[in-house]
Amino acid sequence: MSEQTSWLATRLPVAATLRAQVMGILLPRDMPYAATFAALVTGAVIFLILSGAVLSVYYNPWHGFDSIQFIIRDVNYGWLIHGFHETGTTMLFGAMYLLLFRAILHREYKAPGELVWFLKLAVLLLLLLTGFLGFTLADGAQSYWSLQNAALAVSQMGGLPGGLGNWFFGGPAGPSTLARLVVLHTAIALIVVLVLAIHLAAKRAIARIPGRPVALHPYYTSQYFVAFVVFCLIFAVLVFFAPHLGESRLNLVPADSLVVPAAITPPWYLLPETGIANTAASAMGHLINFLAAFAVLFALPWLDLSKPGTPPKFLSRVLSYILALDLIGLAITQTAATSILTGILSVLFTAWYFLHFLVLLPLATATETN
Amino acid sequence: MAELAKVEHEIELAVDHARRDFLKILTVATAGVGIAAVAWPFIDALNPGAETLAVSQPIVEVGGIAPNTGLRVVWLGQPIYIRKLTDQQIADNQFIVPDTLPDPADFTSRVKPGYETFVVVVGLNTGIPCELLGNDPSDPRGPYDGWSCPCDGSIYDPLGRVRSGPAAKNLAIPKFTFLNDSQIQFG
Repeated sequence: MSEQTSWLATRLPVAATLRAQVMGILLPRDMPYAATFAALVTGAVIFLILSGAVLSVYYNPWHGFDSIQFIIRDVNYGWLIHGFHETGTTMLFGAMYLLLFRAILHREYKAPGELVWFLKLAVLLLLLLTGFLGFTLADGAQSYWSLQNAALAVSQMGGLPGGLGNWFFGGPAGPSTLARLVVLHTAIALIVVLVLAIHLAAKRAIARIPGRPVALHPYYTSQYFVAFVVFCLIFAVLVFFAPHLGESRLNLVPADSLVVPAAITPPWYLLPETGIANTAASAMGHLINFLAAFAVLFALPWLDLSKPGTPPKFLSRVLSYILALDLIGLAITQTAATSILTGILSVLFTAWYFLHFLVLLPLATATETN
Repeated sequence: MAELAKVEHEIELAVDHARRDFLKILTVATAGVGIAAVAWPFIDALNPGAETLAVSQPIVEVGGIAPNTGLRVVWLGQPIYIRKLTDQQIADNQFIVPDTLPDPADFTSRVKPGYETFVVVVGLNTGIPCELLGNDPSDPRGPYDGWSCPCDGSIYDPLGRVRSGPAAKNLAIPKFTFLNDSQIQFG
């Protein structure tokens, strides 16, 4: 290099690496705002890790509910940091589900995108686990009984799943269970960052080189900036005007080990998965249903019979939108009061979910290809 | 292709650079303010809260302490002795040449100006950490009418300066201020 470089740059070329690897990467000219979802997910995860780090300073798993009240009432800006963490989860899952929906809609899972798709699903699975653990840490009536039911169910399964569940929860829920779940909640959240980094690398590896490219900076940094501003604006509105969005009121009541809530509602981002799991009767059935729901997602690159690189036609697009509505409907049946109708509807919605992936999608894509 | 490049070149010429730079600075500055506004709650949440500060800065009534006796209070887990001196004790200790003491310290460095009758010290021996005796006139106070250590026999004068002993350091003075004649605040 002929130009004069600084003392630091000759020893650790940060600026040059950043210019070449980040600012200078070449991108097509027509990326929509929806292409920023992955960046928004990453940003939300980092934000949640920061706010979670502050919360963990004051959180006491032996008195989970009381320590959260302490954080909200006595810690400087504790109410805000708590709100950031709680509502940040909503924003994270909002972006995550939109990211997945966009991947389905644009057939990003087809070769050579299978690995990127698997990594997206891995991120979703890890986030769902992290989210559930964070929900149990709230230690309200809903959290306590969700955890109690989950830990009891897995401990009664026996065999390998029972053993693993017992190892994970440390037996049916008790105070020491929350202490270990704090550690697991944190550890899995950090693993999510790692998987997101691998996802980015995998995505870069298969990115096609565009014909007339533009550099990331300033063309897409400005686009990302706008996307982040809009994201933060929605976030701020939710934090300040709807801080308990999607949270059961019963979770603001301390848990009582002798009083079981009439209905146990998981946080909103777990509702579709819970709906699918709950159509089975036994604990093992719940687990099998949940695994099956993810198995069809993992098999999606091969269930979709279209040729790689072909854009989806009308029928597949309509099916994708119906699938999204189906999952929203499934979530709604889980929040509504239990009745025969919601029971039937949740079975129907679950059946449609599997029908979509196992029958309708292969058929539609096969007809569209010919 | 060439036509497009020409169009782009014309656009580049038409750009109002002053206006673009202004917008860029405005955007970055606004973003900076926003980031700072979000960062502050994160930083302040790790500062001690009002409850912690209130506990760590207690106010103690000292008006009721009789001369020649000491009051023992616990602050941040340590015994604090607040002792009211007699005129005799002040006279005995005021003009001692500091260099003759094991840990030289003059009278004014051991008391607050204007409140010379009060001595506030951490009541732990500086040798073996034992609580000292001598707050009550009937306690063993040693030859200087101060404090004595029941563990290693170190002797302190009423100002908390070590006079003999295995101990070699004067008693520590906690951080405090007089609010008025009868109240002191720690911290």
